[in-house]
Amino acid sequence: MATPVIMPRQGQTVESCIISKWHKKKGDRVKAGDLLLTYETDKASFDEEAKVDGVILDIFFEEGEDVPVLTTICVIGEEGEDVSQFDPRNSGGAGGSTEPEAEKSKAENVSSGDVTAGDDDKAADEKAVVPENIPDGERIKISPRARNLADKIGIDYRYAQPTGPYGRIIERDIELLAEKGPAFTFAAKGESMKPGTEIYAEGTGIGGRIRISDLEKGKEAQSQMAAQVPASQVTVPAGAAGEEPEFTEVKLTNIRKVIAKAMHNSLSTTAQLTLHTTFDATEILEYRNRVKENKDKLGLQNITINDIILFAVSRTLLMHKELNSYFMDDKMLIFNNVHLGVAVDTERGLMVPTIFYANKKSLNEISAEIKKLAEECQKGTINPDMLKGGTFTVTNLGMLDIESFTPVLNPPQSGILGVNTIVQRVKKVGDEYVYYPAMGLSLTFDHRAVDGAPAARFLKDLKTNLENFSLLLAK
Amino acid sequence: MVYDLIVIGGGPAGYLGAERAGHAGLNTLLIEKRALGGVCLNEGCIPSKSLLYSAKMYDNARFSEKYGVFSENVTLDHKKVIERKNKVVKTLVSGVKAQLKRNNVTVVEGIGEIMGRNAEGYEVKVGGEIFTAKNLLIATGSMPILPPIPGVKEGIEKGFVLTNREILDLNEIPKSLVIVGGGVIGLEMASYFNSAGSKVTIIEMLDKIAGNNDREISELLMKAYQKKGIIFNLSSKVVEIKEGQVIYEHNGERLAVEADKVLMSIGRRPVVDGFGLDKIGVEIERGRIKTDERGRTNVPGVYAAGDVNGVSMLAHTAYREAEVCVNNMLGKKDIMRYNAIPYVIYTNPEVAGVGETEESAKQKGMEVEVSTISMRYSGRFLAENEGGDGICKILVDKKYRRLVGLHMIGNYSSEIIYGAAAMIEMELRVDDIKEIVFPHPTVSEIIREGIFQF
Repeated sequence: MATPVIMPRQGQTVESCIISKWHKKKGDRVKAGDLLLTYETDKASFDEEAKVDGVILDIFFEEGEDVPVLTTICVIGEEGEDVSQFDPRNSGGAGGSTEPEAEKSKAENVSSGDVTAGDDDKAADEKAVVPENIPDGERIKISPRARNLADKIGIDYRYAQPTGPYGRIIERDIELLAEKGPAFTFAAKGESMKPGTEIYAEGTGIGGRIRISDLEKGKEAQSQMAAQVPASQVTVPAGAAGEEPEFTEVKLTNIRKVIAKAMHNSLSTTAQLTLHTTFDATEILEYRNRVKENKDKLGLQNITINDIILFAVSRTLLMHKELNSYFMDDKMLIFNNVHLGVAVDTERGLMVPTIFYANKKSLNEISAEIKKLAEECQKGTINPDMLKGGTFTVTNLGMLDIESFTPVLNPPQSGILGVNTIVQRVKKVGDEYVYYPAMGLSLTFDHRAVDGAPAARFLKDLKTNLENFSLLLAK
Repeated sequence: MVYDLIVIGGGPAGYLGAERAGHAGLNTLLIEKRALGGVCLNEGCIPSKSLLYSAKMYDNARFSEKYGVFSENVTLDHKKVIERKNKVVKTLVSGVKAQLKRNNVTVVEGIGEIMGRNAEGYEVKVGGEIFTAKNLLIATGSMPILPPIPGVKEGIEKGFVLTNREILDLNEIPKSLVIVGGGVIGLEMASYFNSAGSKVTIIEMLDKIAGNNDREISELLMKAYQKKGIIFNLSSKVVEIKEGQVIYEHNGERLAVEADKVLMSIGRRPVVDGFGLDKIGVEIERGRIKTDERGRTNVPGVYAAGDVNGVSMLAHTAYREAEVCVNNMLGKKDIMRYNAIPYVIYTNPEVAGVGETEESAKQKGMEVEVSTISMRYSGRFLAENEGGDGICKILVDKKYRRLVGLHMIGNYSSEIIYGAAAMIEMELRVDDIKEIVFPHPTVSEIIREGIFQF
């Protein structure tokens, strides 16, 4: 019997995923456990395996398409079986499974006051949830007011430059777009809403409108580019014969785009600055060694210096709650628990998984959890829900010999702690100068939320706790 | 002094370009060798419309019985018709003059000749005087093609063979008129002289009349004119013109048709020689000035618009091309598009169209769906065209479902077609057009009727 394969739901807030690669094609025979496809959200990528043996009878979505979760993406069965009932593009096909989801996600969004691109379309289209309604892999944040205006004047808000808080499109962005933004002819507008239409030539239509021929030119250019370097999507501009090319053009990945937007947003919307200090790491180094020697005997994790710092931060923060907060322009949310974001360097780019309720977890638990999260980030199997919700972040460049740096805030969080390498310093003990291992801490905070002195006091307390780690453990 | 712009040629491209430039504050000089308004105003569009309207009045009076109106002793006085035509032309030419003045354009009469370049710009000589400008707009237009057929040259000298220029000033109606070339000019003149009483024969080299027009509509037009007594010899080639006779070949056969007058209207060619384009190195390609989509030639600051670029050879195309040129001179980005340029043949019935025909779509590999409906779907058409018929043909591309072509035959088509051009410019889709309200009862409603066939 033919078995549909659906786009899995990755976390409660993910509504659609982009198919990054099909490892099998229509007509291929697969065994349970074979890799079928790789797909991605805006933050992570995942592999989906075949769950049954059979032949891939049909594939309904191509690479690059954005598919609502729980939509049937392909069918595995035996040759000759009818698959039309599974085709989500046939009305009613996948409607049964996706429609309630679409409504649910809409309800969720309404309750949280956040409107996500495509929701209204989904609900409005009663027949089936077709992927065409979802313009892009990225969630577009737009205020309801702005969205209403865009709908009213018939403008494609995807082209608006967000100037609202946290990268949200607000009314004035739509107004500006209406005045200056790309205008389309009717047919071109319809066409531009289809997935995969991203590159535009300049508008050559009436009043500078983008018309069908411009979109076609854009697509042509795109496919030519793809034809030149099919695998990597990299174009190498022609240099003179025998010379190295001047530069290599690399298309941004979704994750890179998200990071770029988030970083720029952080620096352009907050008042952040960084305080630097060092502490005597003698005690935590000794502690770490003690654990190392006895971990097998006591069944402990391989506790790292970073784990120790995470633990100390989770405990110290609650004495300085103003740094464990969201700054929201007209109000602040002060958190009573510490959900600790931990920056993880991956091949795909920076990812920040969250240790929820870190303040309630033991050092051993924190150590175990961060190891698991980091591994999932590396593999790209992290649940996207684990990549949000942090109230404070720790980032560590110590292993790369960095002595101090200015971490970039992750708004609306008010603070982020940078952890640096250990250098040998000299201090005077009695009449003698002695060497000690000094470890650097760099605290970036949002001066809108916290003043310099309280931030410095947090850092001082953290320093004390780390220098007297056994006392902290005893608390 | 150094002008911002010198315009060579005072036809539609030239005078409109000069007006727009002057209006935008450019210090502009216009050079015209014959009469402001060019061929269009003096010996083309406007005078022919004046004649054709007289013919229409005459026909309406003569054939009014079917509408219950009886008239006797209806005559057409050709001299009066020509007098009126001259009055219309004069009024419009002075209108152009006034417009140019209002926009501070300096007009110089004479033949402009480009002399070369100096540090300040381009030098153009008119009479003995040299003018200099930073930009040039070449708008020298076109002239009738006179083929090297034996007897043509002599016929022109004797006044037996005419072009569009001479035929509009004939003092009397020739008993028989042979028109060589069944394009727009030939058909319109055939229409007038047929109504006015000439025995008209059209000799056309192609297997259809009206050039690239929709084939079905060409055939309908031909049938309507055959009914009125015009003789069509298609797929026929004129080989010799003798006094009172035109010799042509058809299927290898040599035939002759008698003619009091012969109109040569086989086409027009751009005027690119004899005024110094070579001195500044303007590129000429197949007898026309080569321009890009912004009206620029290969020489910086030198633009060309109108018939001289050989693209479309219609006055309204020239208007728009001139505007594109001036906008680009002013640093405003503007691009010339040719996909939505309407055409009209002012025959009775009128023919008008815009965009792709079935044939042109096929050549481009564009898949289209076609709806063809009778003009009799329009209430007003039926009320005003006793016994008449026409069609409206609508082409929609299959891929995007947008309007790509619309062609019609039937009176008022000329005034309706711009609406279809606007729809094509905006790439309106079938479903978009369905939401447009048309005034009732009008002939324009035929578009709405046709669209709902999809």
